[in-house]
Amino acid sequence: MLSEFEFQSPATLDDCLELMQFQAPGVAPIAGGTNLVVDLRSGRAKPQTVINLWQLSDLAYIRRENGHLAIGGRTTVTQLLNSSLVRKTGQALTESAQKFASPLIRNRATVGGNLADASPAADLAPPLLVLDAQVQLQSKSGTRTVPLAEFFLGPRQTVRTPAELLAEIRYPVPAANTATTFLKLGQRWEDAISIVSVAASLERDGDICQSVRLALGAVAPIPRRAKQAEAVLAGQKLTDELLRRAAQVAASEDANPIDDVRGSAEYRRWMAEVLVYRALTSLIEEEA
Amino acid sequence: MLTPLKIIGKGVRRTDALIKSTGEVAYAADWEMPRMLHLKLLRSPHPSARIVKLNSQPALAIPGVVTVMTAADLPQREVQADIPGQTGTKAHRLGEAPVLAEKVVRYKGEPVAIIAAERLDIAEKALAAIEVEYEELPAVTHPLEALKRGAPIVAGTDNIIQTHRIVKGDIEAGFAQADHIIEHTYTSQHIDHAYLEPEAGVAWLDSNGVLNLRISTQVVEHFRSIAKTLGLPESKVRVMGTLVGGGFGGKEDMTVELFLALAALKTRRPVKLVFTREESVQFSTKRHPYIIKHTYGVTKDGLLTAAKVNLISDAGAYSYLSPWVLLYSTGTAVGPYRIPHVEVNAKSVATNNVVASAFRGFGSYQTAIAYEAQMDEVAKTLNMDPLELREKNYLHPGDTTAFGQVIEGEVWLPQTARTAMEALGEPAPAKPGKKIGRGLASTMTSYGRITWFHDTSEAWVGVELDGSVVIRTGVPDVGAGQVSALCQIAAEVLGVDMDNISIHATDSAVTPLAGTTTATRQLLMSGNATKLASEKVRSVLLGLAAKELDLEADDLDLQDGQVYTKEGPEHLMSLADLAKKAAAQGVPRSYLEMYRAPFSDPIDPETGQGHIWPDFTFGSTAVEVEIDEETGEIRVLKAVGCHDVGRAINMAAVEGQIEGSLAMGIGAALMEDLAGKNGHPQALSFAEYLLPTAGDLPELQAIVLESESGKGPFGAKGIGEPALNSVVPAIANAIHNAIGVRISDPPFTAEKIVRHIRQGTK
Amino acid sequence: MPKLELTLRVNGQNHLVELPANITLLDALRDYLYYYEVKSGCEKGNCGACTVLMDGEAVNACLVLAAQAEGHDIVTVVGLGTQEEPHPLQEAYADLGAAQCGFCIPGMIVASAALLAEKPQPSRAEIRQYLAGNLCRCTGYQKAIDAVELVSQQKPVAEPS
Repeated sequence: MLSEFEFQSPATLDDCLELMQFQAPGVAPIAGGTNLVVDLRSGRAKPQTVINLWQLSDLAYIRRENGHLAIGGRTTVTQLLNSSLVRKTGQALTESAQKFASPLIRNRATVGGNLADASPAADLAPPLLVLDAQVQLQSKSGTRTVPLAEFFLGPRQTVRTPAELLAEIRYPVPAANTATTFLKLGQRWEDAISIVSVAASLERDGDICQSVRLALGAVAPIPRRAKQAEAVLAGQKLTDELLRRAAQVAASEDANPIDDVRGSAEYRRWMAEVLVYRALTSLIEEEA
Repeated sequence: MLTPLKIIGKGVRRTDALIKSTGEVAYAADWEMPRMLHLKLLRSPHPSARIVKLNSQPALAIPGVVTVMTAADLPQREVQADIPGQTGTKAHRLGEAPVLAEKVVRYKGEPVAIIAAERLDIAEKALAAIEVEYEELPAVTHPLEALKRGAPIVAGTDNIIQTHRIVKGDIEAGFAQADHIIEHTYTSQHIDHAYLEPEAGVAWLDSNGVLNLRISTQVVEHFRSIAKTLGLPESKVRVMGTLVGGGFGGKEDMTVELFLALAALKTRRPVKLVFTREESVQFSTKRHPYIIKHTYGVTKDGLLTAAKVNLISDAGAYSYLSPWVLLYSTGTAVGPYRIPHVEVNAKSVATNNVVASAFRGFGSYQTAIAYEAQMDEVAKTLNMDPLELREKNYLHPGDTTAFGQVIEGEVWLPQTARTAMEALGEPAPAKPGKKIGRGLASTMTSYGRITWFHDTSEAWVGVELDGSVVIRTGVPDVGAGQVSALCQIAAEVLGVDMDNISIHATDSAVTPLAGTTTATRQLLMSGNATKLASEKVRSVLLGLAAKELDLEADDLDLQDGQVYTKEGPEHLMSLADLAKKAAAQGVPRSYLEMYRAPFSDPIDPETGQGHIWPDFTFGSTAVEVEIDEETGEIRVLKAVGCHDVGRAINMAAVEGQIEGSLAMGIGAALMEDLAGKNGHPQALSFAEYLLPTAGDLPELQAIVLESESGKGPFGAKGIGEPALNSVVPAIANAIHNAIGVRISDPPFTAEKIVRHIRQGTK
Repeated sequence: MPKLELTLRVNGQNHLVELPANITLLDALRDYLYYYEVKSGCEKGNCGACTVLMDGEAVNACLVLAAQAEGHDIVTVVGLGTQEEPHPLQEAYADLGAAQCGFCIPGMIVASAALLAEKPQPSRAEIRQYLAGNLCRCTGYQKAIDAVELVSQQKPVAEPS
């Protein structure tokens, strides 16, 4: 059985924010429920009030505006997966959505929920990190924008306060000569929690790296950018040797994995190196 | 050429097929009764502890909690937990297990108390309210540790639950004759049955004072154990088995029965118990982990001269079926090969791990992991093709097994192996960074129970006055089509459409007892019983028709619900009219027949020589895998199971068993592990205990061979367990073929593969 | 905990239920409305036995709060077809022997129906991916995939309502 709570289903976003403010801190918003219902059943989450977001369909959108791709927090992973706008501007995000859990989960899981739940293995996070995404947090008191890179604080912990809603995430549409990709390693081919995940974004001029972003998932307390590895690549000629060195640095310096039931820390480091190298080489081959 | 039969062998729509597609089957949890209570079990959080305090009062104080039962409240504290539904054997000296833990708990999850409440959420609150304190005791969680002097004692005086032994020939002489001696140690992991339907049932006392249990079970004969444990006459306990949502041996022992029975009797109300998936994964019985030290001696020409096998199984906290699983392992330890000198020593050891008991293969699964790996190791040593090596050594009809039983019937091992390998087709193209490998494994698996159990099954078949046919059988149907197969058999013998047959099954009070749905025995036992009963009915009715028409009964046939002459054919009368004539003349239209499996005495305890099983199914699995050398990720590209099933009754159902076995074996080989750590499973639910999804499997290919040489109806054998045993070793051999590494401890995870590649383990 | 009064529309029929907020759609369907064809296999979205259509999309009923389902169309396997008028998928699954124990089948057929509505001619690889959220322990999925493929090759299947 789930823990006991009061349930509210506000008709509008304003009503929702009002309720969240009023009920904070013992309040939990629920959209697809794919994480929260599990936590309510296990006792990990015991909010006094649960506030339904599912009916706030105004918050489910994907649109291009002002040179950005804006995704409403209530957008489902299925919607992400089917979006040609996302595919054209953020391939890594499409690739992540393709491998996200199962089709049944994708029909309910939302972008806002996946990020706000902040599992270290949250699959949507690495692609959005390399896309320089920003999170819009709304509350009755106002709106603030936080770079996704500053959003995660620790496992299942973010800067979002209980009265705030992750209303939107947006990223600048990358320059034309930018390619992005996402790779993940799981214990089975479908419906797997990531043992290691990698997202990469590469903007090239010939074989010179103009700009690079790397993000790692499931190898640190939070999904985060592999800054040391990026520094190896930035502005440099992209030789195979350089890619290998960047991958080594990502594994040894940017990753900080633990042992768990899915894999050992040591294996995760090895795989971080492999996946970073593969991600980078696939981007170079793709653009070639 | 197969004996021509009318409906046997066709993939007809099973009798339960459409009701499963339309969701109309009521499984055990799909049941509610007025005033029904919901049960929850308080379980030990520790693998080994003394119960220091147990106070139910705070739980009883919660409104809606009707009763809390602990060991102190039970009429009988222990249940005889070995040999469900068998009459021909003695109880094992360590075969008793507590119903509820009394002073100590011996495994994590062991039930300590039963709570009955008006609603499930109230029962859960009561669980939290019970005051219970434990003093943790040292736990032993590895069988080798449990065998050491000074280890905590879990069972008996030395943790040894059972030993078995085979001695054949002279092992030292056998090794002396060998040019090569190949020895390795193999292990296997705790596997969860992982049926989609969690354990469930409802029980109530009816107005006749009979305790009724409606249970998802493989065994209705548990009514006897239930009666004994509750102090009731056996005639006052009725077990009605539902269609089971997957058994695989996990519903062979009692699961929910005793808790339901006790609560129903205490409260005099209907009671319901459904395990959560977490309870089922972590605490229900599991497959035995094994440690197998396996030694083959072989000549340079590839002939096996000797086999020495040392087996240790982790029985967990209580004996249950461990002694018998161990016997199956002992009997199958050296594989389906001619070996003149054999020594097998086997021990089943108690630990503070979860109880291990029956699981598809029942000990013959784990031995195949060892002996089929060994065959490839021998082939590697001799630089010989693995199939060629096997063909030099396969048993032949008329040969004697390691335990001295003569193999009757056909032994189509070479055919199944060659066919399976050929069905892999052209090798997959090589890709950069990926290695392709192929693996083969062959097995010999018994069908039918241990012959000194004196196994029997009864079936009743009758013709109604409108020509429709009724079958009554105690058979539990766990999804392999056990019940539908019996209809197909009656349809064949009585010449009636499947649509015109009704089968009433699985009720210990009302249907003739057919024994357990385990040990791949039901087609042999109930199939034969149904065939015998159908043939008796046919014989008597055709005898009446012959007398009425002044013809010879041998000249008559039944087809499409009509009586015909074989020659012509000339239509004589409908089966309905014949049935009416029989009724009018007092001639029986129904018969109850018993089929008896071959009976034997137990094997010699010193040498293991004697007769163990009625017969065997022979088969092979071939797989092709692709391994990513850097990540260790492994994809099964092709999987083929080829087995001689004697005669297929329903071809689609037989294919389904082979396909399902390929999937189950791939899961066990690549991703399934309870992963116990100091007695605590790390796999808690289906999020950690992973099964292959549809996207994890290749096209699964089933190739059915039919030698018609089985002891079942129409020459059938059994397939449920035999189809599984060769899968894991085939995958291990394919990995070895791909990357030159022998990994001997499934599951063969990507991480393990990478570690072995990096270490260069050969 | 106060009770909610909800109207749940299941297989085209409206039901008024009174239940606490912490009841999932799965538990509401089974324990309050007796739609026993919706199975409980894991209660946390890992197995798909509880798959229903919600506004035409296949979802795990165990992860939807009953209260969230109000105002939406829920379809179970019985809403797709019955013994008297089976859905082509139900016929194909039955004819090909795609069910063994049958426990996963209601959810798998619902997911299959959603797949064919979205993609009337899926490849076998696509069928596998689409059914990846529906676990089966008995069959290896082989004949279920055959059944979906067979139906996809027949005349167009009507939209699930």
